[in-house]
Amino acid sequence: MKKVRGKSIFITVCVAPAVILFIIFMLIPTFNVFKMSLYKWGGYSNNKEFVGLNNFKILAEDSNFFRSFQNTVLLIVCVTIVTMALSLIFAGILSREKIKGQNFFRIVFYIPNILSVVVISAIFSAIYDPNNGLLNSIIGIFRGKEETPILWLGDQKLVIYSLVIAMVWQAIGYYMVMYMASMASVPESLYESANLEGAGKVYQFFTITLPLIWTNIRTTLTFFVISSINISFLIVKALTNGGPDGATEVFLSYMYKQAYTNSSYGYGMAIGVVVFLFSFGLSAVINFVTKREPLEF
Amino acid sequence: MNTNKLYKIFIYVALFTLAISIVVPVGWVFLASIKENSEFYGNPWTMPKGVYFQNFIDAFEKAQMGEYFINSILVTALALLILLVVALPAAYVLARYRFFGSKVFNIMFMGGLFINVNYIVVPIFLMFVDADKFLRNLGGDGFFLNNLFVVALVYAATALPFTIYLLSGFFVTIPHDYEEAAYMDGCGYFRTMVQIMMPMALPSIITVILFNFLSFWNEYIISMTLLTKGSKTLPVGLMQLMQAQKAAANYGQLYAGLVIVMLPTLILYILVQKKLTQGMSLGGLKG
Amino acid sequence: MKAKKIVSLLLVATMATSLLAGCGDSKNDAAADNSASTDTAADTAPAETQDTAEAETQDTAEAETQDTAEAEPVEEQTLKVAAFEGGYGADMWSDVVAAFEASHPGVTVELTIDKKIEDVISPAMKAGDYPDVVHLATGREAALTETLTKEKALLPLTDVLEMTVPGEDVKVKDKIIPGFLDTLATNPYGDGVTYYAPMFYSPCGLFYNAGLFKEKGWDVPTTWDEMWALGDTAAAEGIALFTYPTTGYFDAFTYATLSSAGGSDFYNSCMTYEDGIWESENATKVFDLIAKLGEYTEGTTVANANNDNFTKNQQLILDNKAIFCPNGTWLPGEMADAPRADGFEWGFMAIPAVNAGGAGCSFCWFEQMWIPAAAENQDMAKEFVAYMYSDEAAQIFAQSTAIQPITGVSDSLEGDNKMFYSIYDNGATAVMGGFASTAPVEGVNMLDTLCGTVNSIVSGDKTVAEWQAAVEEASDKLREAME
Repeated sequence: MKKVRGKSIFITVCVAPAVILFIIFMLIPTFNVFKMSLYKWGGYSNNKEFVGLNNFKILAEDSNFFRSFQNTVLLIVCVTIVTMALSLIFAGILSREKIKGQNFFRIVFYIPNILSVVVISAIFSAIYDPNNGLLNSIIGIFRGKEETPILWLGDQKLVIYSLVIAMVWQAIGYYMVMYMASMASVPESLYESANLEGAGKVYQFFTITLPLIWTNIRTTLTFFVISSINISFLIVKALTNGGPDGATEVFLSYMYKQAYTNSSYGYGMAIGVVVFLFSFGLSAVINFVTKREPLEF
Repeated sequence: MNTNKLYKIFIYVALFTLAISIVVPVGWVFLASIKENSEFYGNPWTMPKGVYFQNFIDAFEKAQMGEYFINSILVTALALLILLVVALPAAYVLARYRFFGSKVFNIMFMGGLFINVNYIVVPIFLMFVDADKFLRNLGGDGFFLNNLFVVALVYAATALPFTIYLLSGFFVTIPHDYEEAAYMDGCGYFRTMVQIMMPMALPSIITVILFNFLSFWNEYIISMTLLTKGSKTLPVGLMQLMQAQKAAANYGQLYAGLVIVMLPTLILYILVQKKLTQGMSLGGLKG
Repeated sequence: MKAKKIVSLLLVATMATSLLAGCGDSKNDAAADNSASTDTAADTAPAETQDTAEAETQDTAEAETQDTAEAEPVEEQTLKVAAFEGGYGADMWSDVVAAFEASHPGVTVELTIDKKIEDVISPAMKAGDYPDVVHLATGREAALTETLTKEKALLPLTDVLEMTVPGEDVKVKDKIIPGFLDTLATNPYGDGVTYYAPMFYSPCGLFYNAGLFKEKGWDVPTTWDEMWALGDTAAAEGIALFTYPTTGYFDAFTYATLSSAGGSDFYNSCMTYEDGIWESENATKVFDLIAKLGEYTEGTTVANANNDNFTKNQQLILDNKAIFCPNGTWLPGEMADAPRADGFEWGFMAIPAVNAGGAGCSFCWFEQMWIPAAAENQDMAKEFVAYMYSDEAAQIFAQSTAIQPITGVSDSLEGDNKMFYSIYDNGATAVMGGFASTAPVEGVNMLDTLCGTVNSIVSGDKTVAEWQAAVEEASDKLREAME
């Protein structure tokens, strides 16, 4: 009897602070976001007008919003595929091959992830500079100096992929280290017996490594969706501010523009609600699609 | 044999390309921070003409980077402390005990992963506004806004879902034998948690510290909103150095500021990078 | 409904007449002013404004000066002033505040000044802690001034205009250059009530390297035909005709060309979202003109037309890679540290006339000062706004080349700055005021639609017809939100 009481006190003391903090600083504000999405409010005065689902109705007809939706989805898809592929390959190389300076590469690849977005945008401004940028200078060696420069941040069809490069550059090390960690726990004996059977390295990667770290990949996919929405906003805000002419507008940057510079706070919050539901739904879909029987080893 | 050699060459080329694409731009920021203002127009990739250390002195003296630096350290350290004190026991209990509501709490924190700080920051701010108004009506003084401690509290709270997710992922994997043995020896719940489980979780804890240090240190949206006058954190101070239109830019100070922001994270990362991999392989991210 | 229309027509008419007198007359008035340079608009005002208010002016002015002299007890007051730190620097503000404190015993001014003042004050404003006076122009990215206007959270300044300038015996409204108080940039609702006090005006036009013209033996174009011809000549030498910092600078450019294409009535119809106005013949001329200019725009401009890199576009002028760049008088200060081509010399001109034989035009940009309706210390705030038009304050501002819209102030300028302010002397029309303020419309942003799209026109991603249709659509939606 005494023990049971002691246990419940212990549980309460441990869990209560986290739950209280969570409710006050995350649950209630999120609830307010949902609530405000039903109002028309400029952000300063006291005239809040309840408009029901009107904000969502306008949203459904707002072509600028759809553009930001498209851009966000495109970014998520491209960045996810490229980053996943590259970080898996590099993780595979670094954990399976005998590489000189393996430690050096592991440390260096992670560095972009620790940089502030302000630093990243300064770096990519200098890389994408049309005349003196690093990228155009290197390309210029191959195609001659006289060609018209490639406008990495000016060409509306190209600029979104310029952002993809920046985002991949930023994320690759993080996921690589994460995959390396789980690859390290794949038993060496599996590879040894595969070697005896004469299986090639690429074959081993697909038949042993990938299936065994599949659960890890699934988890990271969910995080990917969440963090891509966030990072794309930060990078867009610092690098292009949604331009040229809305070509790189994403969910959250559009939300900011509406809520703070177009005096439509309620409308902005309606976008916030859509972002929340979207990331939730997408993660659920990913979770469902990638479901496999977990392999034990 | 030959294909094997080609394969090796290919691997090294790939590794070096990526490494260079990271080292060169980061090194460039350091070099740019010692350039004079007039060197920032034109080609960004020219070498600095000399070492212009005045940028750093200006950044500290004119742009108050020193003060912002201390604020940043204070907020980050406080937030980490609060986070660990709150999240560790919660993660441990949620992972290892079944009790009334434990499932709801687990789902709640998982759902919290999908809440984006960028849209809840203003509701949080408005909440503080109301709270401050209430306090003033009681004759007191505003407490919640412009308070570094409150900012740290908000940082910690918004980092809870991810941290609890990461830590409980680790705690789940520990066999129950450890606790049973501890109870046999007459250890209470608290002692079991603090003396037996926490040390085992150390690599995961270090990972959590590093991840959160990075996000707290680089965060600017919350601190910009909640610290409205006087005290600022480093990234917010930096944003103000960023050029504003219709005013002459101070590139030298800006890049010196970028280096000041970047250095602590680089140093901390290099110090704990070994533990990072270890912590990840033990932690919940293993899946 | 009908009455409203008549009022707005009248308004437009007054604007039309006064616009001509706008920024431009600094020189003309100077002549009148020179005779007694310490004496201010008091002399010139009656000559220009013959309304009935004049007679009362003298009496009330005297009464008020006596009032302020005697009845003002030394009372401890704190006035919270928030000011945008623009290209003119922060020092002039601390000097003006010091002078204000010296002339108003007992008043302490708490000055907040920042390059991003909206980020600094708006959180506190949401918290109900308002500054008493704010100096912040419209047209900024964060649009704080516009937001408060849309929210009807500003104090009307009608009585400030009737106040006597502290330390002088002239009314505020008589000191301000005529025309400045009749625009949508001071009366945002178009109802004749002034909410923004006009501050620091600056003509916008096209900047170029005068040295380059001398070197090549080119003539500065005065019509668009000459402009295109110059563009072709220069293209042969690898120099582009045109560049722009960001599309944000097309507001001034479009305003000026609209006015030049259709006159000021037409311009005001555009600014008040009249039905079909953006698809009219005159508007089409402007759209086509900008589209053609797009063909002559330097190739890398679009890539750098963002907040991070816009100085690279401005640098093109200094490097002789592009000839013209639309901007305001702050540009030389902004680029003061930048390296430049040999023999570089700033040149500045109004935008050539859109119609053959018409007058050139230049948008007269000015900043605004306003009082939030929620300000605590409104009386002292009004006093402060009135003080901005005193000779004392104007002199301090002018030392940093910030020119108050007071007759004769720009005469004290020297060198390049003198040239910038003489842009209207060659017969160019001054255009003032921007879009009328409306209730917020979700998802519709006129400036984004009108100016932001220029990037797409230059890069060929959108056609002029699409652009024009989008502007008309935005205009339709905003018209509905006007009251």
